[in-house]
Amino acid sequence: MKEAREFIMKCVFILTACVSIAAVVLICIFMFANGIPAIAKIGPLNFLLGEKWKPMNNIFGILPMIVGSIYVTAGAIIIGVPIAFFASVYLAKFCNEKLYKILKPAVELMAGIPSIVYGFFGLVVIVPIMQKLMGGSGKSVLTASILLGIMILPTVIGVAESSIRAVPDSYYEGALALGATRERSVFFAVLPGAKSGILAGVILGIGRAIGETMAVIMVAGNQPVIPGNLAMGVRTLTSNIVMEMGYATDLHREALIATAVVLFVLILIINLCCSALQRRSGQ
Amino acid sequence: MKKTWAVMGTAVAVSAMIFTGCGSSNTTTGTDTTQESENTDTAATDTPAAEDSKGGDFSGLISPISREEGSGTRGAFIELFGIETKDTDGNKIDNTTDTAEITNSTSVMMTTVAGNEYAIGYVSLGSLDDSVKALKIDGAEASVDTVKDGSYKISRPFNIVTKDGLSEVAADFVKYIMSKDGQKVVEDNGYISQGNEGAYEAAGLSGKVTVAGSSSVTPVMEKLAESYKKLNADVEIEVQQNDSTTGVTSAIDGICDIGMASRELKDTETSQGVTATPIALDGIAVIVNKQNPVDELTSDQVMSIFTGETQDWADVQ
Amino acid sequence: MEKIKGQLESYKEQPFSLVLRFLMWIATFLTVGITVCIVGYILIRGIPNLSPEMFAWEYNTENVSMMPAIINTVLMVLLVLLIAVPVGIGAAIYLVEYAKRGSKLVKLVRITAETLSGIPSIVYGLFGYLLFATTFRWGYTFLGGALTLAIMILPLILRTTEEALKAVPDSFREGSFGLGAGSLRTIFRIILPSAVPGIVSGVILGIGRVVGETAALMYTAGTIAKVPGLMSSGRTLAVHMYALLSEGLYMKQAYATAVVLLVVVLLINAGSGWIAKKLTKR
Repeated sequence: MKEAREFIMKCVFILTACVSIAAVVLICIFMFANGIPAIAKIGPLNFLLGEKWKPMNNIFGILPMIVGSIYVTAGAIIIGVPIAFFASVYLAKFCNEKLYKILKPAVELMAGIPSIVYGFFGLVVIVPIMQKLMGGSGKSVLTASILLGIMILPTVIGVAESSIRAVPDSYYEGALALGATRERSVFFAVLPGAKSGILAGVILGIGRAIGETMAVIMVAGNQPVIPGNLAMGVRTLTSNIVMEMGYATDLHREALIATAVVLFVLILIINLCCSALQRRSGQ
Repeated sequence: MKKTWAVMGTAVAVSAMIFTGCGSSNTTTGTDTTQESENTDTAATDTPAAEDSKGGDFSGLISPISREEGSGTRGAFIELFGIETKDTDGNKIDNTTDTAEITNSTSVMMTTVAGNEYAIGYVSLGSLDDSVKALKIDGAEASVDTVKDGSYKISRPFNIVTKDGLSEVAADFVKYIMSKDGQKVVEDNGYISQGNEGAYEAAGLSGKVTVAGSSSVTPVMEKLAESYKKLNADVEIEVQQNDSTTGVTSAIDGICDIGMASRELKDTETSQGVTATPIALDGIAVIVNKQNPVDELTSDQVMSIFTGETQDWADVQ
Repeated sequence: MEKIKGQLESYKEQPFSLVLRFLMWIATFLTVGITVCIVGYILIRGIPNLSPEMFAWEYNTENVSMMPAIINTVLMVLLVLLIAVPVGIGAAIYLVEYAKRGSKLVKLVRITAETLSGIPSIVYGLFGYLLFATTFRWGYTFLGGALTLAIMILPLILRTTEEALKAVPDSFREGSFGLGAGSLRTIFRIILPSAVPGIVSGVILGIGRVVGETAALMYTAGTIAKVPGLMSSGRTLAVHMYALLSEGLYMKQAYATAVVLLVVVLLINAGSGWIAKKLTKR
C-alpha cells in the first residue's frame, strides 16, 4: 500500500517535470507551424536580411528590427548590469540589517511595477530630458536602452544577490584573515565563487530586455530603419509584433508571427550560448 | 550605529534630489501634457515665446509621428493627403518617410506631440483634447460640423461587421445603433452620424450580444451599449476591445455577433460572408504642440512633411 | 560625522577599496532613487484622480470603474498559482529528490525550463492565442489566459524551489530516513517545510509577473471589463490600464489605476513576506 503510494507520487513528480518539456515542444510546434510558411513564402533571405519593412506593399524585411533589438538589449546591459552588480554586492555583503529592510522591498517593488507604467514614465520623464540633452524627438536607441537598463535592475539584482549570499562565509573570512580590506575580500574572494549565479542573472536580464514590449514601444520611436547613431529611433522585434498584429491580415499577419519565431530562435541561441559558456566555466 | 544613520540620511537625500529632479521635469512637461485644460490654456497664453514667434521665425526640424502600418487611422490619413500613390501596376505605395516615428496608441501620440515642440501627428477627432492643437487644413477647422458639411475632408468610416443569420437581439441592437436615438449618441461623442432610420422602440427582448474589434470604435460602442441597456434591461452587451482585424475575423468565425472595424473591409474578408455597415464617420485631426505658432497647413504641405520632403518648420509658414 | 571622517581616513591606504565602496553606494542610491522617482511619479499623477466611483461594482463609461479589474487580477493570480505552483514544486522535487545525477531527463527539463524563462511575453501571448483561442476554438477566455501565464511563471517557481530544496542539508534527509520515514513523508514533512521561504520568494516573483502582465493577456484573456466565468473574457488591472491608455480618452483614470496597481503589488509583497515568516516559524 505504502509502496504503491510512493510509486504513484513518483510518477506524478515525473509528470510534472515533463510539463515544461511539453510546453516548450507545444510552443515550438505552434510558432513554427504558423511562422515558417510565411518565411518560406517571403524567402528566408529576403525576410531576415531585407532592410525594408513595407507590409502594405508586401515587402517584409526584418533586418532593421533584428539589429534594433540587439542594439537596445546591448545598451540595456551596458547601462543596467554594472549598476545591478554593485548594488547587489552592497545588498548582500555591506549593508546592515536596518538598511536592508528598506532597500530590499524597494527592489522587490521595482520588480512588481508593470511595464506599461515604466513605459509611460519613460515617455513623460525620460523622453523630454533626452530631447533637451540630445536634440531631436528624444525617442531613441539611448532612451530605450536607459529605460530597459532600469527595468532589468531588479531581475539582475535579485539573482546576483542570492548567488553572492550562497558563497560560503569561509571565503570571505579567509580573505579578511589574510589582511585584505572588506572590499577586496568580497570582490576578489567571494565574487569569483558567485560568478555563475551572476551570469545567470545577466542572462535573465538579457531575456527580459530583448522580450520587453509595452515599455519599449512608447520610447523607442519605432521607425523601421537601421539606426545610424544613438539618437535615432529604433524598432525592436517585439514592438513590430505588438504594433501591427492588431490590423494585420493574411501574409502580413503570418509575417508578424514569423517575426515572433525569429525572436524565439534568437533567445534560444542566447540561452544555448550561455549554458555552453557556463558549462565550460564550470569545468 | 551612527554610520547606519549617515548612510540612510545620504540615501534619503540623494533620492530626494533625484525625486525633485523628476518632480520638476514632471511639472515642466505637466504644463503642456496634462489634461487639465485650465492649466494648459494659461500656459499657452502666458508663454511669451509662443506669442513672439508668431511672426514666422519658428524653425527647427519637424518630427513627424505616424501610426502603425495597417492602422485604420493611418490608412485614411495617407489616402486623403495623397501620401499614398499608385505605381504603374496599380499597387498602392505608402510614401510615409522612414524617419517618421511610429506609435500604435492615440495617447502616446498625443503625449508625444504635447511634449515635443517640433512634432506633428494625427489623431481621431473623438479623442482630441486640450493638450495639443489641431491644425486647420486648407482653411477648414477640424470639427464635427466641418466634417459633416464636407469642408474638412479628412475622415474615415467606423464600420460594424455582421454575418447573415444575426441573432434577434443582435439585430435589434444594430437597429438601435442606426436609429435616430443611436445616432444621437454617436453625435454626442464627437463623431459624425451615418444615416438615420427613425426612432427606435424597445422590443422587450432579452439575451446577450458580444461585440468585438477596433479600439477606435470601442469608446462610442460602449456608450451605445450603455444607452441601449437603459432601454432593454434584459439584454447584456459585451464589448471586447482589440483591433479591426480581430473584430472582422471574430465576426466571420462567429466568436462574436458584431465586429467593429475602423477601416474598409478587404476583399478576402467580404468573400467570407460578412458585410460592413458604417455607423459613424470620424474626422482625423492633424495635431501639433501648443507652443507651435503654425495654425494652418495646406494638404500639400502635410503631404510633403509626411513624405519627408519638407523637414523644417520654417518652410511651411 | 566624525566617525565617517575616520572611516574615510582608514581608506587612505586603500584607494581602490574606496572606489569600490563608492561605486556600490552610487549603484544602490541610483536603484533606490529610480524606484522612489517612479513611485512618486505614479502617486503624484494618480492620487488626485482617485475617486470613489472608480470602485463601483460595475464598469461603465461614466465611472470607468476598476473594481472588476481588481477582482479579476486577484482571481487570475489565484488561478495561475493553482496551476503553476503544484506543477513547479512537483517538478523541482523530482529533479532534486528522485532523479539520478546527470540523467537525460533532468538535463532536458533544465534546458526547457531555461528556454521557457527566456521566452518574451509577447511570444507567450501569440502562442496562447494560436493554441487556446483558435485551435481549441475557445475565443478569449480567462482560463486560456491563466494557462498561458502558468506556463510563463512555471520556470520561475521551478528554479527557486529547486534551489531551495538543494539548500536543505542532507543531514535532514538522512535523519528522517534513519528514523524509518518513507521518502514521501521525508519530502512533505521535513524537506518542503524547510524550503518554504525559497519557494515563497519564487511565488512572489511569479505573482509580480502575473499582476504586471499585459502583452500575453491581451491576446488570450481579452479585454472585457467584467468579472468573468472561467470560459469568458475578462481584463486584469494591467490590461485595464492599457485599454484606458490606448485611445487617450481616460488618461486620469489610467493614472489612478496605476496607483491601485502599485498598492496591489505592495500588498502582495508584504503579504507573502508575512506568510513566509509564519510558515518558517512553524
